[in-house]
Amino acid sequence: MHELSIVKTLIEQVEKEVRRSGHDGHVVHLDIIIGRLSGVNVDSIRFAFDLLSPDTLLEEANLRITEAKAVCLCGACDARTEIDELVANCPACGSEQITFEGGQDLLLESIELDD
Amino acid sequence: MKIVAARKILKANDQLAEENRGRFNRSGTLVVNMVGSPGCGKTTLLEALFGGLDGRVVPAVIEGDLASSIDAERIEKLGVPVVQINTQGACHLDAVMVADACEGIALDKTDLLVIENVGNLVCTAGFDLGEHLRIVLLSVSEGDDKVIKYPTIFRKSDALLITKTDLLPQSNFSVDRVRADMQRLTPKAQLFQVSASTGEGVRQLADWLLGKCPRAE
Repeated sequence: MHELSIVKTLIEQVEKEVRRSGHDGHVVHLDIIIGRLSGVNVDSIRFAFDLLSPDTLLEEANLRITEAKAVCLCGACDARTEIDELVANCPACGSEQITFEGGQDLLLESIELDD
Repeated sequence: MKIVAARKILKANDQLAEENRGRFNRSGTLVVNMVGSPGCGKTTLLEALFGGLDGRVVPAVIEGDLASSIDAERIEKLGVPVVQINTQGACHLDAVMVADACEGIALDKTDLLVIENVGNLVCTAGFDLGEHLRIVLLSVSEGDDKVIKYPTIFRKSDALLITKTDLLPQSNFSVDRVRADMQRLTPKAQLFQVSASTGEGVRQLADWLLGKCPRAE
């Protein structure tokens, strides 16, 4: 959902970070984290990146994406388990009394320049 | 060389939403973000709601649609100050649009500001507008399985309003199923059953909202 505008925002943020660092050069590696429950599709991000990065300082960048899972916290058995589903029961005890932690954000982790 | 950024990509909307919320707190305005599918009855419910406020609060509305001022014109007929946002294709409102729209609202005089979001159960979940309360509408004609099918928006809501309850006798919609699904996803959320055409539940909804307004009589 909205992957094109997300990538546009990402490129602007990277340009701002690089300018702020005072360094020149092209980006060699770009590391981002996409939460598995964020509603953002990884393939669509790659597609949008290929579309929008030419003629920017990211045009030769290798985009590395880590997918972050959410953790399911169970109110019944106190288990903490990694989870991929938007709606689930506790994988340990089957209880419906669960809350989620993490796995919902999009993060710009780091930028590696070639200078 | 490596620059470690470790920041949210969509931080800009969150930051502006916090600024919006601060502004609303300072003016003493309760702000409600109203979401739901197209046709679930958002504007019609506002027409019923403002009829029953009896001058207890000063309301205002921000309407969000891709195009047209159809909804704003309906609200205007009630004598309620309203600003229409036309997103020109964007499928949800965001904090920037709301901040701009607030230029046309006398916030210091407004006790209750309702933002009627673009009709959409998906994208609206991801954008904080700076509101204090988020209410989601689900009409009887949409079916009772939507809470589980669209969990994100229901999970992030403070109240679910089942609308068009006058249609219950003609449908197989199960209020119990919706109640159970909401209990599972977000036990703290309030559940209301309303019908704008018969008036059922509208008073209870108004009382709940007024109870949260800092300045309501």
